[in-house]
Amino acid sequence: MQQGGGSDTEVTWEDQQNINKFGRLNNRFHELEDEIKIAKEMNENLEDASNELILTDDEVVRFQIGEVFAHMPREEVESRIEQMKEVTSKNLEKLEEEKDSVLAQMAELKRILYGKFKDSINLEED
Amino acid sequence: MASSSTSAVSERRGIPAAAFVEDVQTYLTQSGLDVNSSLAFLQERLQQYKLVEMKLLAQQRDLQALIADFEVSEGIYSRARIEDTDSVCLWLGANVMLEYSCDEATNLLQKNLENAKASLEVLVDDLHFLRDQVTVTQVTIARVYNWDVHQRRSKQAAAAAAKDS
Repeated sequence: MQQGGGSDTEVTWEDQQNINKFGRLNNRFHELEDEIKIAKEMNENLEDASNELILTDDEVVRFQIGEVFAHMPREEVESRIEQMKEVTSKNLEKLEEEKDSVLAQMAELKRILYGKFKDSINLEED
Repeated sequence: MASSSTSAVSERRGIPAAAFVEDVQTYLTQSGLDVNSSLAFLQERLQQYKLVEMKLLAQQRDLQALIADFEVSEGIYSRARIEDTDSVCLWLGANVMLEYSCDEATNLLQKNLENAKASLEVLVDDLHFLRDQVTVTQVTIARVYNWDVHQRRSKQAAAAAAKDS
């Protein structure tokens, strides 16, 4: 964020707090984008895993817990994967909602700050 | 939108707060610095903030990895319990491993997990505070610079006007 040269507009403490808030929201926005990407990948992996499971004939499947693999009956693996898929989907939804909220707040702050400072402030991503 | 209190904290856990400058002229007069010295000081402050930020981010990554490990090991040990053991051995690090009853083990892991989570929370707040100080400093730098440009232009205009008169 930079200001153009020679501007006369005074910066009040409230303006500073708005700018700070915008900065924090922008950071959170990038964090959320990363988290959303990870959650989507997780979803894909779970899809792949459950597809593989349908294709296999094995009765006992190796299921990963942390750093170990445990032998488990196929039905149990199926239900666990289903459960994980549900948790991941809900998480993804929550993240997308937060992202929308953050974007909305940022848009509002842009309106206020550009309104007061016009060209003297730059709130865009470089 | 609730506004935070106007009385700013002067520092947080060793990190100095960036004072908000109400008026650039007053700020420069009070600090007794000329524009260039003032800008140099602010730039240096900014660098220091960035260094602290990097250190905190590294600590945050470590804590997050630790917490992820806890959650995994809790899972492993609780499943091991289902497989009919009366006690579990916990790896405490530094080549030490202790045997605990299942309850003791769960409690220990739970307590460590909560400590790690609490530390992480404090760290995240530190980072937010730091971020704000960086922003305030960046804005102050811009304002001091602009003020200087404005001063020069006014002087030039005044000088030009005096010449013409």
